[in-house]
Amino acid sequence: MTYQSELAPTLLEVRGLRTEFDTRAGTVTAVDGVSFTIDKGERVAIVGESGSGKSAMAMSLLRLLAHPGRVAGGQVLLDGRDLARLSERALNAIRGREVGTVFQDPMSSLDPVMKISRQMVEPIMRNLGLPREAARAEAIRWLDKVGIPDPAGRIDAYPFEMSGGMRQRVMIAMALSCRPRLIIADEPTTALDVTIQAQIVAMLKDLTAEAGAAMMFITHDLGLVARFAHKVAVMYAGRIVEFGPVDAIFAAPQHPYTQSLLRTIPSVGATKDTRLPQIPGIPPDMRHKPEGCAFRARCAVAVSRCAVDVPDLTARTGDLVAACWVEGGLRAAPKALEPRRRVAAPLDDTRVTVEINNLVKHFEGRAFLPRNRRAVRAVNGVSLRVRKGDTLGIVGESGCGKSTVARLLLGLEQPTSGEIFIEGLAQMVFQDPFSSFNPKMTIARIIDEPLAVQNWGDRPARAERVEQLITQVGLEPAHLARYPSQLSGGQRQRVAIARALALNPSVVVADEPTSALDVSVRAQIINLLADLKAELGISFVFISHDLLTVRYISDRIAVMYLGEVVEYGPAEDVFDRPMHPYTRALIDAVPIPDPRLEAARSNAPLRGDLPSPLDLPVGCVFASRCPMATELCRTDKPVLKKYRHSQEAACHYAK
Amino acid sequence: MANESVDTAAAARPRLPVLALPTEGLLANRKVQVAAMILVPILALTAFAPLLPLQAPLETNLRAIMQAPSIEHPFGTDRMGRDVLARTLAGVKVSLLVGFSVASIALVAGMVLGTLAGFFGGVIDRVVMTVVDIFLAFPSLLLAIGLVAIVGTGLIPVITAIAMADVPRFIRLQRSQVLSLRSRPFIDAARTVRASKGWMMTRHIIPNTVAPMLVAGSIASANAILVEASLSFLGLGIMPPAPSLGNIIRDGQTYLQEAWWISTLPGIVILLIAFALHFLSDGAREELDPRARK
Repeated sequence: MTYQSELAPTLLEVRGLRTEFDTRAGTVTAVDGVSFTIDKGERVAIVGESGSGKSAMAMSLLRLLAHPGRVAGGQVLLDGRDLARLSERALNAIRGREVGTVFQDPMSSLDPVMKISRQMVEPIMRNLGLPREAARAEAIRWLDKVGIPDPAGRIDAYPFEMSGGMRQRVMIAMALSCRPRLIIADEPTTALDVTIQAQIVAMLKDLTAEAGAAMMFITHDLGLVARFAHKVAVMYAGRIVEFGPVDAIFAAPQHPYTQSLLRTIPSVGATKDTRLPQIPGIPPDMRHKPEGCAFRARCAVAVSRCAVDVPDLTARTGDLVAACWVEGGLRAAPKALEPRRRVAAPLDDTRVTVEINNLVKHFEGRAFLPRNRRAVRAVNGVSLRVRKGDTLGIVGESGCGKSTVARLLLGLEQPTSGEIFIEGLAQMVFQDPFSSFNPKMTIARIIDEPLAVQNWGDRPARAERVEQLITQVGLEPAHLARYPSQLSGGQRQRVAIARALALNPSVVVADEPTSALDVSVRAQIINLLADLKAELGISFVFISHDLLTVRYISDRIAVMYLGEVVEYGPAEDVFDRPMHPYTRALIDAVPIPDPRLEAARSNAPLRGDLPSPLDLPVGCVFASRCPMATELCRTDKPVLKKYRHSQEAACHYAK
Repeated sequence: MANESVDTAAAARPRLPVLALPTEGLLANRKVQVAAMILVPILALTAFAPLLPLQAPLETNLRAIMQAPSIEHPFGTDRMGRDVLARTLAGVKVSLLVGFSVASIALVAGMVLGTLAGFFGGVIDRVVMTVVDIFLAFPSLLLAIGLVAIVGTGLIPVITAIAMADVPRFIRLQRSQVLSLRSRPFIDAARTVRASKGWMMTRHIIPNTVAPMLVAGSIASANAILVEASLSFLGLGIMPPAPSLGNIIRDGQTYLQEAWWISTLPGIVILLIAFALHFLSDGAREELDPRARK
């Protein structure tokens, strides 16, 4: 391994770290005896779902935990010095200077009323002992390095004057500018779009390698891990269950949790009739942690010992360590094949359920003078068709208008111009199921609401229908008496699906239905949607930025960019042979959970940010970021044209 | 509130859906417990005052004027030989009536007007909020004094005057809650099934605003009790000989040197009530809004 230096390679050693939160219900052990090491210049990914303790662990290293969290035990040795024992004052000298941090939300980590220059220059002066002018020059140099255009001018901007991607770059510049030896990055790209994420990840990788800094990268995205990490630590219920080199983790994982997690992700070649392997159950409630191995309840190979003793990390093949009593994990049991899905035969009638013609939606800005009013052109002439029983996937980055199309379809917004025809009823499954429920209603009343509003049948008939719906989405009638806050995320999304199905809709619009869910329950929801589609023959409009999932579930895909459809066609064709340069860039930006495939890909990320939808370019909307744009693209707007069999693209140079 | 739930759930429903107050949490809250320890005895004494071996509040006994507290007269007697405890308890009854009425009026009016203004926006919103802003420009005690000056003294005018000053603030609070609820996804979900505006307001908006409004209501009732006492003290509220905590204190004020108990003891009672009501609202807020917890 070339990245390890010969002399004293260990930079950070964590031993038996324990973090506790004192809550009303008692003490919750969020981090339960975590030990690992990071070598100099090494990038270690910490993977886990929400509640696995990964963020609490990272915060504990620098004692940045918010009340009521506290470090209850263990050692954090940075070059042999125990940070856990340092005084607050001594630790402050380490924070920023030796260990830099980058958090998920750059807006809340930057002070909104302070110019970037003030937030950057003073730490540099303090930590590197430079005079003000030199520190400012240094800050500008770092802003330039992270790809901020016009850094000398932008350094005096306020955070709100920058886009999310720009702010995250500033955060990274701040973290790197004091030349720390370790960077802790907690989900630094989760709030960003895939193309921006690709830029940031590539930049972090280059800059840390250049500065020789080590990095601890916390994420739930296994694709990013494959692209980025040297080593991986998988956390579950506050403990590391598997740790080792990235290739070994992806090629031959040893812990059942890692194994099942990797199987649940739709692979590049997954076909629609195979159900995604799913992990049963939900992550454990950390307030009532089970005896023995925490993963036992969801594990296919659990033995009686798992219920009694907590397994420790032990050495396995391929330099891995795993905490499991069963040698080989799931491989110890014969692989149970997921039952094949009965795919409904393609309906002969080509009846169209949804037809959208030249749909336009502009949001008028407010201004005192009419001439100052500017319209946000959210949707700009979109035409789409969904045939009966088909699934249309809409992909694109935030601000591309995909959610506005969904809201227009459901009649939540009125179109500025254009037509929408829907045969039957459209219903919606929202991104965050929790906020789509009235918290004061029971599940029964939530599912019953569409029926009650429409005066569907009498009370006993409705009660029967509600019970039928709840079992259809894989829950128990006993769940009906609960409130939304008493269900898990996956259960809530099932309830949302039941509610959407109540009135027998002809089309269900699902806007990012899995992005608010834990990774291990996403596959359950995707399987459920695909099963329902096969059983009920209803059409779906599936909106997501997760291209692998969209490809798996959709028959056709529409790629949107700045309010326009730039490519449209059968899912496999669009994914395997993209015609529009934007589609290609989008697919390239999506990390694939396989380090070997990742290494072989051209990872040249798309440059620049999305133009503002307030003033769109005259020619092709994508021209400003397109690698193959010419003068023609900047002056003439390409229209969606049919190429090949049934694939359409809006590009002058599509072949 | 209408209750259109499915029967299977109705059997198992743990609590009233509209309020859905965390009853257990409330009863376990320290501040609520302290408030209850003060309020429950006061309420019980007030309710059972006629059964107590006390003189009637208006009965005078000129042979026993200005007597210090004793077993027979626990709060002593005033300059006409009336029993101060009996008068205080009668005054507490008036106070609680004022507090409860004002809070109820402010709650109902605030909820109705605030919901309409917030939900419909446009002209309704502008009209309601303009009137609210005008009312809010006056200090509430001054507004009450002015109104009493116009409509006259007595229980009903006092309640009306204090409520008039409170309603605008309740409209504001309700409207701001409605505005933030209106853009929540569950309202969108109701719109996708073509729920009527009335349905959305009664099933989705109002139930989610009740808890903070009740908290505000308990503060308003404490405030109303103090304003009533101030008005009566100034001679603008409940007129003697009818007792009210305010006019009892005013009566005794002249004799603070010789008979401290006439003013002081009812004063302590009013302090305790206001204190308990604030504690109650504080405790309720903690239970209803988990973020308020430390």
